[in-house]
Amino acid sequence: MADGILLERAGIPAVSLCTDAFRITAEAMARSLGFPGYQYVAVPHPIASRTLAEIDVIARDFLPEIIRVLGAGLTIRPAD
Amino acid sequence: MEEPPVIDDAPLADPAEVRRAMEFYSSRGWTDGLPVVPVTESYLAEFLATTARSPSDVVLAMPHLNRALTVRLAAINAALAGCLPGYFPVVLAAWDSFLGDGGVSRAIWQSTTGTAPFTVVNGPVRAAIGLNSRGNLYGSGFRANATIGRAIRLGSLNAFGLRPHVLDQATQGTPAKYSCCIAENEEDSPWAPLHVDNGLSATDSACTSTVIRSVLHLEARHTIVPEQLATDLADSICRTGAMVRAFASVYVVLNPEHARLLDSRGWSKQDLKQAIIERGSRTYRELAASGKEAIAKGTGWRLPAGHPDALPQTAPSDPDTPVPVIRSAHDVQVVVAGAPNAGVSSIVETFGAVGRPPSVAKIEEQRQGREYRTDPGST
Repeated sequence: MADGILLERAGIPAVSLCTDAFRITAEAMARSLGFPGYQYVAVPHPIASRTLAEIDVIARDFLPEIIRVLGAGLTIRPAD
Repeated sequence: MEEPPVIDDAPLADPAEVRRAMEFYSSRGWTDGLPVVPVTESYLAEFLATTARSPSDVVLAMPHLNRALTVRLAAINAALAGCLPGYFPVVLAAWDSFLGDGGVSRAIWQSTTGTAPFTVVNGPVRAAIGLNSRGNLYGSGFRANATIGRAIRLGSLNAFGLRPHVLDQATQGTPAKYSCCIAENEEDSPWAPLHVDNGLSATDSACTSTVIRSVLHLEARHTIVPEQLATDLADSICRTGAMVRAFASVYVVLNPEHARLLDSRGWSKQDLKQAIIERGSRTYRELAASGKEAIAKGTGWRLPAGHPDALPQTAPSDPDTPVPVIRSAHDVQVVVAGAPNAGVSSIVETFGAVGRPPSVAKIEEQRQGREYRTDPGST
């Protein structure tokens, strides 16, 4: 969370990601750094104990939200 | 035999006012769950008078949290914890040592690993303020140990805001989080103490701090063979359940009976460390059985060889090949402490620096004309 905020402040677009188990901490970190309301993306918990295939599904499902928070007006090119 | 406390022997104070003060601190969230001691400016001044440092000096900063512990904040939390003013130089040195250790500044107390502050005190200050280095080493029952360790914990809660369920994401935590400050039993040790091993004089006092997880007990009342003791220690240090990083890092808190046994057979502290390192391995087969035979890219944590994050490695042709899990003598610190009344020692599993010397911080001398105060303040 701190890295994402510091990158944004340095003018580099960034998206902080965490799992939903860490929402409270993520928001406390954002407040600590003077950025309450900082937009981030929370994906389902857990990560470490999932299979690669399950991780792929989470990545695919959350990519549009990550792009939206990145806010660069990017669109996702459809898979060939 | 000491008398048990009796209610009508309590000092003259309005109990309702005492409870009101206790509840005030509790309602502000400035406690570890137990009652704290009320702190006034005049009482705080007694703590600040024990150090030459300015109240606004920063002792330890956490820039990622935009917060810093000043001398004043360290003193407030020492007073809240129940320290006497004369303990404050020890608390400051403990923080200095955490700064040198490095993990705390790098957010280890926010980690799911859930580490506790751990401090070893050496030198004449132990006797001056009544630190326990003997029986019931980890407590409870000794004010200096209990409150110095608690002063660090309250500092982490109140100065840095590292509260459970918020910025402190510890999955399990550890009972040591309430307080874990021990003193080395230098008087019953056959060897040089920890701070002298690290370049200080025996007449100096010092704190050596790091972050820890479990304290394991080692039952070895049965042996007079140094190699058996070293094997028993190494086996516990190398338990796979503790392995998250590639290498172990521990304090062996050896009771004086074990230390004397080793010394009487010609073993130095260094000999013990070396013997533990030589035995400090698991076979590839044992590591693989727990899925901890490989190392992850980036984190350096242990995981199965088939994991997508695993660094490429070639499995040994003989699965019973030993894989070292203790890297250097720095990672096996030996402290002599506890009562010399049984062959029971302990292993403190740390999450501090690996592969470098411990962070030993000298305790500031009391200002001229002052002694380490052991009497309660007047305010």
